[in-house]
Amino acid sequence: MRRLFVLPNSRAGWGLLIAFVALVLAGTWPVIGLVNRATLVMGLPLMVVWSYCVIFACVVVMLIGNRIVERNDHE
Amino acid sequence: MNSIWPLLITLTYVAVAMVIGLHARGKRASRADMNNLEEWGVAGRSMGPITLYLLIAAGSVSAYTFMGAPGWAYSKGVAVFYVAIYLAYLALVAWYFGPKVWEFGEQFGHVTQASAIADRYQSPALGALAALVMAIGSVAYAVLQTIGSAYILFVMSGGLIPIWLGVLLVLACIAVYLYASGQRAIGRTNAFQGVLMLFVAWAVGLWAVNSATGGMSFAGVFERIQTEHGEFLTLPGAGGDMSFSFWTTSIIVSMFSFMPPVWTQWMSASSARTIRRSATWLPTYYVVILPMVVVGFIGIYSLPELARADTVALEYAMQHLPVVLVGLLGAGTLAASMSSSEPFIHSISLSLSKDVLQPALKLTDGVTGKLARRLILPIMFLVVAPLAIAEPGSLVMILLVGLGFASQVLPAFIGMFFWPRASRLGVMAGIVAGFLITVAFTTLWPHPLGIHAGFWGLMVNLPVFVTVSLFTPATKADVVERFFRIAAPQGLTRLGRREEQRDLETGHVP
Repeated sequence: MRRLFVLPNSRAGWGLLIAFVALVLAGTWPVIGLVNRATLVMGLPLMVVWSYCVIFACVVVMLIGNRIVERNDHE
Repeated sequence: MNSIWPLLITLTYVAVAMVIGLHARGKRASRADMNNLEEWGVAGRSMGPITLYLLIAAGSVSAYTFMGAPGWAYSKGVAVFYVAIYLAYLALVAWYFGPKVWEFGEQFGHVTQASAIADRYQSPALGALAALVMAIGSVAYAVLQTIGSAYILFVMSGGLIPIWLGVLLVLACIAVYLYASGQRAIGRTNAFQGVLMLFVAWAVGLWAVNSATGGMSFAGVFERIQTEHGEFLTLPGAGGDMSFSFWTTSIIVSMFSFMPPVWTQWMSASSARTIRRSATWLPTYYVVILPMVVVGFIGIYSLPELARADTVALEYAMQHLPVVLVGLLGAGTLAASMSSSEPFIHSISLSLSKDVLQPALKLTDGVTGKLARRLILPIMFLVVAPLAIAEPGSLVMILLVGLGFASQVLPAFIGMFFWPRASRLGVMAGIVAGFLITVAFTTLWPHPLGIHAGFWGLMVNLPVFVTVSLFTPATKADVVERFFRIAAPQGLTRLGRREEQRDLETGHVP
């Protein structure tokens, strides 16, 4: 039991895990360092635009996740 | 401010919230039903996706959005957006863990986070410890929100309602509907408060932009900031104290702080699918932060000499906005404070009754249900009210330590969702080690190397948890099995080998 762990066991599950990790990386260092510039995009600071891109990307990933979970009938 | 309108609008909001809260019980649930923890504690697991969306959203958007966030924008700049990002990540956490927590609750009868911990590790002592220490952070959070509520009443009344009276007034209102309708009242009032906050934030933000630039676009504000105060548009911010490491570790620590009210909210859903649907759309609510933050940026050049940064939105509104909007801002801020404090007060009462007093005094479920309802009164009037009126200077410190502890409970959840071998003693050792480090790095040597104290705590906590777990007895196999049938319905993976383990399907955990 000491080496048993919960991990995804399908390609879709791994894809979802990678997407979750990518989202967390997108909002933290070092990625956040790449958008740390005092420039404006559509009238908003680049950091603000990036933050909301990450926030709405979370919605998209969860929507995809819902399709995977419901297709696999995990519930 | 001489007009009576802001106070009238704010008090009208309080009256509407009370009516909604009192009627939240509805006709289905009788007065006797409310003495049942399933009903008073988790609303009979009945909440639909829209109510749950607004419940979680309004609960997570505290007075910080209307006071603290504009204040951070005013004093630091874009660094404030770490909050919006971690709130979105909390939705990911809710999406993954929420449905499993709901199934634990539905199948095993848990109504609190601590009961789930006690059950998984077969240790009422560990459950009671988790409940007690989580209560410290929760009390500090409720006190801070209550102070915010009283401050709003003080400002809106032009000083006529002193802080002590505001504290008692707000707590009395919450006490009435919380006692009458429990989690159902929190659900309904948070839904109302959530809609109100969204409307008020955008109305105030757009009006403020119009008064500052003559247009409705945020671009005019940020072009001026870019020209005159470019340091507000990047990290480490104007104060120079939001480094990349503090930004990153603050987000990670906040993401892993599984606060008890959130757990209760998940268990109040009508189904596991409801939680997933609500969590999916939850990040969209955090557009509520943007317009209030823009007001903070306007304050940088229009109110340069402000003594208290967190009053920037209120000060700007009182100087430049019509009285009706000032009143709505007061109502919105009060809504934000109340919607965040009431779930914490409710969860403290629920957890102390269920996880501390019931096992200690060997109470029946019926007596425990009645006790949970009545316990909100001493918690509010003997603990929260005196602390809020005294406004102790160390309160923020207590809150930081409390939240730091919340993240230190992470091993308990790793053992519940990912690693069957996690043991009771491993979790206890990890929590204690992580908590001591967090306390030391919050009080004695704050955030060494610009890394959040809670993150340092986790770096010690997790290795201690794994090591002690491997050398101490695991929880009984049948208990682990029933948890992991829900946490890992497809089976477990044996690390270090290629083949997958399907032991749970055969009913045997090696």
